[in-house]
Amino acid sequence: MDSAPGRRGRFSRLPPFTSQVLKDSVVRLSPFSLLSNPVMFIVEMTFLVVAAMAVYPQGFGSVASASKQTFYLEVAAILIITVWFSTLADALAEQQARNTASSLRRLETEVTSRKVIKQGWATDMVPTKSTDLRKGDLVLLEKGETIPIDAEVIEGIAMVDESLMTGESAPVRKAPGDSVIGGSRVVTDTLTVKVTANPGETFIDQMIHLVESSKRPKTPNEQAVTMVLLGLTAIFTIIIVSLLGLSITLHLGADLSVLIALYVCLLPTTIGALLPAIGLSGVSRLYANRIVAKSGKAVETAGDVDVILLDKTGTITVGNRQAIEFIPFEGHTVKEVGEASFLSSWYDDTPEGRSIIRLAYDSGYIPKELNSLELSKVYPFSATSRTSGVKMSRGLMLGLPKGIDSGGERRRFRRKAPEALEGLDENEPEVEVLKGAPDSMKSSLGAVPPLYDEVVNGVSGAGETPIVVSRNGSALGVIRLKDVLKEGIRDKVMAVKAMDIRPVMITGDQPLTAKSIASEVGIDEYVPQARPEVKFSIVQKEQKDSRIVAMIGDGTNDAPALAVADVGLAMSSGTEAAKEAANMVDLESNPAKVIEVVMLGKQLLMTRGAVTAFSIANDVAKYFAIVPVLFSAAIPQLNILGLGLESAVLSALIFNAIIIPMLIPLAMRGVSFKPSGTMSIFLRNVMVWGVGGVIVPFVGIKLIDLLISVI
Amino acid sequence: METSKRKSNYRPIIVVSLISLIVCGLFFPLLVTGIAQALFPYQANGELRQLDGRNVGSELIAQSFNSSEFFQPRLANESASGVDPDITQADALSQIPGISNATGGRVSVSALTSIVDSNVEGTFWIFGSPYVDVLNLNLILINDYPSVYQNFTG
Amino acid sequence: MITLPEFLSVALILGASLFLAWLTAPYLVRVYKRVPGRLDRVLNPVEKGVYKLAGVDEEHRMGWKEYFLAGLCVNIVQMVIAYLILVFQGSLPLNPQGFPGLSWDLAFNTVISFGTNTNLQHYAGEVTLSYLSQMTAIQFLQFTSAATGICMGVAMVRGFIVGSKDMGNFYVDFVRTLTRILIPFCLVAAVVLVALGVPQTLSGYTTVTTVEGASRSILVGPVASLVSIMQLGTNGGGYYGANAAYPFMNPSPLSDVFEIGLMLLLPTALIFVFGELLGKKRETRPILIGAYGLFIIDLGIAFIPNAPAVGQGIETRIGGFMSVFWTVVTTAVTTGSVNTTLSAMHPLVILAAFMGMLIQSTPGGKGVGLMYMVMYIVITVFIVGLMSGRTPEYLGIKITSRDVKLVMLAFLIHPIIILIPTVLAYASGAAAAIGVNGAPIGFTQILYEFTSAASNNGSDFLGTAANTPFFNVATAVVIFLGRYGPIAILMALGGSMIGRARTAVSGLRTDSITFSLVLIGSILILVVLTFFPFLVLGPIQSYFQGSVNGFG
Repeated sequence: MDSAPGRRGRFSRLPPFTSQVLKDSVVRLSPFSLLSNPVMFIVEMTFLVVAAMAVYPQGFGSVASASKQTFYLEVAAILIITVWFSTLADALAEQQARNTASSLRRLETEVTSRKVIKQGWATDMVPTKSTDLRKGDLVLLEKGETIPIDAEVIEGIAMVDESLMTGESAPVRKAPGDSVIGGSRVVTDTLTVKVTANPGETFIDQMIHLVESSKRPKTPNEQAVTMVLLGLTAIFTIIIVSLLGLSITLHLGADLSVLIALYVCLLPTTIGALLPAIGLSGVSRLYANRIVAKSGKAVETAGDVDVILLDKTGTITVGNRQAIEFIPFEGHTVKEVGEASFLSSWYDDTPEGRSIIRLAYDSGYIPKELNSLELSKVYPFSATSRTSGVKMSRGLMLGLPKGIDSGGERRRFRRKAPEALEGLDENEPEVEVLKGAPDSMKSSLGAVPPLYDEVVNGVSGAGETPIVVSRNGSALGVIRLKDVLKEGIRDKVMAVKAMDIRPVMITGDQPLTAKSIASEVGIDEYVPQARPEVKFSIVQKEQKDSRIVAMIGDGTNDAPALAVADVGLAMSSGTEAAKEAANMVDLESNPAKVIEVVMLGKQLLMTRGAVTAFSIANDVAKYFAIVPVLFSAAIPQLNILGLGLESAVLSALIFNAIIIPMLIPLAMRGVSFKPSGTMSIFLRNVMVWGVGGVIVPFVGIKLIDLLISVI
Repeated sequence: METSKRKSNYRPIIVVSLISLIVCGLFFPLLVTGIAQALFPYQANGELRQLDGRNVGSELIAQSFNSSEFFQPRLANESASGVDPDITQADALSQIPGISNATGGRVSVSALTSIVDSNVEGTFWIFGSPYVDVLNLNLILINDYPSVYQNFTG
Repeated sequence: MITLPEFLSVALILGASLFLAWLTAPYLVRVYKRVPGRLDRVLNPVEKGVYKLAGVDEEHRMGWKEYFLAGLCVNIVQMVIAYLILVFQGSLPLNPQGFPGLSWDLAFNTVISFGTNTNLQHYAGEVTLSYLSQMTAIQFLQFTSAATGICMGVAMVRGFIVGSKDMGNFYVDFVRTLTRILIPFCLVAAVVLVALGVPQTLSGYTTVTTVEGASRSILVGPVASLVSIMQLGTNGGGYYGANAAYPFMNPSPLSDVFEIGLMLLLPTALIFVFGELLGKKRETRPILIGAYGLFIIDLGIAFIPNAPAVGQGIETRIGGFMSVFWTVVTTAVTTGSVNTTLSAMHPLVILAAFMGMLIQSTPGGKGVGLMYMVMYIVITVFIVGLMSGRTPEYLGIKITSRDVKLVMLAFLIHPIIILIPTVLAYASGAAAAIGVNGAPIGFTQILYEFTSAASNNGSDFLGTAANTPFFNVATAVVIFLGRYGPIAILMALGGSMIGRARTAVSGLRTDSITFSLVLIGSILILVVLTFFPFLVLGPIQSYFQGSVNGFG
């Protein structure tokens, strides 16, 4: 799997260095706008002091000397550049966020639509702006119109283009009960929809609010890092004030500018400069994956997840089972099974049903009773009987049957369906064809064939789903439905397990089927024959055991579980209730992305930690660069880097400054990591950022010093 | 209930402080003194050494010897305590020729060497470095060579 | 460098201390968990009598504030009692030498110093204090301050125990610490010390006529009882000005080793107590490895130069090597007793002593060292733990910004109270007034004085020279803040853990060797970052200038 989450998508690249960014970064240099970043504010204050020293060294008594004006000028320049680098990081992250926000806003184009107002028997159509629509309003949408705001279909079936939101180019079929996203476009037919969210309250609005940093509240974790930075700043302030005091009282002759340089080098400028950008770009990265987060905290919590509930359908498997074989019971032929399956599935609008018809059609098992289907009685799928089918009586031949309009394949059938189809057999005035789960079917059968259980279990044991087909009460055979695994899902599950997270598969399948699929992708825990409510109880149970749970959901049934789960990812194709309850929404409605969410959460925390540790570890080398200069007369031996006196200070300051822009790409892209155990990730990052953070500046400062001496 | 708790705020502080004063400050040192005097009176009273029935000093506290016929302790400002009662074995051995000379050879170098060697303290197996107690050595000299040191005995 | 026998003796002493501490820990746990035991028959009636007399409700449970305030108030009352005894000792009994009362500032400094387990001494006891003062001011405070420290440490740990609802009851913990730990342990230690040659008498200084006929006082007194608690309670304040270099406090190599063992016992045992009280013995690991790892690093620094055999400022019976070893141990456990003169020590030994005092948890003072180590763990878990990709947590508790605020505040106290007074000592001319200049050796002395005061260690260079109003008051204030500031903050941290949600799955394993090593690195970086320039002005500069000891 992608070892660095967030690398794909439009926004993973750094935003271009536009004039707007430049302007922003300069405007932000104002001390007032720096007040929110105490570390950088202090650096700017020190810049003012050193600038004053450069202009009027005489005013600083023994701690400045007039002969060093050029040096002071250089120090002051580096100091203000340091601040600028920090505002630049901010401006870039802002730019990235603005891009995100504007692309989100594009989803919210203001349109005028026809609001339906019913007064008694009369129905009025009132042109209304999308911003004036309120929850519960009815809107009529015709072909070509843009859906003004998130809503739910009340009447009609139509194809809707959601590509703006989801990136999925093919139009999606929407029927009553489905939800539609504001900004998507109706491409066929007519829909009546009920508005489910007030303008400004959709999840898109929440995301826009989140990325606009001025309103962005600090997450708990950011607050804690800020505390560390404040603490360190206080410590280093005491150190420098004491050194200044000692230097004056003991006549150590330390220059104020060198003390200030030491101060700025010690201050956690790197993390101080990049902290806001890290958090902001974390949210932007999530959006690059087409996931909308409602709060920054949710993204961080994702990093802590201990358990992920994975719906089998859509997450582990492609979503729909495909019919791959008809197996007759003893005494029946494959053809009989195929034709009965065709009939029983004609009104079955599920993807499975369609795949059965396609298999039967492709195999040439086209029932002669096809023409009678129009007059048949339909038994829709019921959750209690878990069967479905049709009952046909001998009657008029009315030509081609008219199936439920569902676009796609059925229509193709109809067009191509041969006219050669015959009517019903005269010996059989009534035909009832049923299909369903083996255990449910057993009760409706007149006699259970001898090898019923063997055949059925053989299929489920292989991880496939058996559907039993019967005709007039006698079992003909079994349809084999195969789950198709999503590409790369096994690797993703392995990555999750490597990160010490427990994946739990939830499925409505038989235990045998569930077990087989679970073991195929490497999942140890699964809940078979699960009803939607089961998610809620699993979430509660895991939370009671103090675990952090992530889950996905799309139905209204999922809403309670999504609301209590620590990380709830709703599908944008799901119901409004689910989207409202969740703290993240996936615009692409790809449930497997819950894994990406967890990776991004970890990456965000890791990046913040890495830059913090790096920043602090850097200080060790900076001490060795500057302290020998500070006390050069007393202990030349401490100058283990062998630096020139003034160039040592400049080198350390320059290193301190340029490390900020050098780490901007890292801050915005995030630390890359291989999914593995927490401790091994920890150890690797400690070596790279902690130990590396001690060593790198020694090398960097020495190199800069050499460069300066060449110039 | 509430008032009784309020009232008890001061009492525990004062009473616990006073009881700990009595137990830790008086009872404990007195108990140790009693046990020490009963079990180890010599150590408890400062390891006082006698000569002719009078206390001449503590084995643990250096005293100055002006006479060159004696082993000399370290100068007071050389040690940390100023009353270091010991000198290293090497130091003691280096003083031997001078002492033997001062006694006009009446105490031989070999006799002095054997006195030093047989009174070495401070080593255990491979650990430590040897030292000798100056008062102890000098009292042995007085005891072993009464005629030489007759000025210092009763 | 270090010879094989020297290496072996260090290894044996540390190994034996660890072993004895490990043996002692379960008993300490039983004392604080109030598990019924064999001593109950004798001690229960005594303790119940005390509770009744004092109006202590044994079953009353305290939150961190009440617990801390009870301890603070008891300590202050005890200091007041001791202050009165010191100031009025001239008119009080048990004063065979007829010493007059102490000046107000010296008495103030002394009671704060002893009441806080610091034992910085600006006086020489043998020529200043009556027997009564040694017993009821000095020894008394040594017992009670040690007991307070242990109680606070244990109480803070209680906050971290899963399902805990309170910090315990200070009075009950305090009384039980005295009756079941300090007094019985000290009784045994004191008798052993007497057997090894430490005097214990109340009959006054003995005057003897020396071999050559001079008159001389032998300064005996209730020394053994004081030495027992001063070492076991990591107090460090001596009966004599020369402290454990004085032969009566430390008569032989054997007593030297015994006293080192006494110093290490309780701080090390409390590390094991931590894991046992929590019910997670493996959590002892980072503290133990952290404390002893840093301790060994300090020892390594101190043993780089060759220890002098016997030389200026070193006692013959102790020798240079054991003087160096003692100096590192005494600063590592904040005892502060000395068996040599610090100015005899090589600058690197002084550097190692600074490290011990600045880190404060190698393993540090009993109770308090543990608290500091928890502080370091929380800082480390937070800063580096983020790199594991999870919200940092310790013992399953997520670290919030309030926790970080508390530990940063606790950490901040040290630089403030060490550096500011050091600058003030020079700026006000107080250093010059006692003849100390700003050259490396002089600066080391002043910095050492305030470091020792802040970390409640008590070892010092200045000794009686610092008996001036400035140093008496300045160090007393530093000592007081250095003691109760961090304790209050870290008690608040422990108290805030009560009732917090815990995660079941630990991401960053704090009980792993990996974390323990990272902890050592992070403590070193934090402490070095904070004090490096000042150590450069002092011992590091002395070292580079080629000094072999403080005499130049």
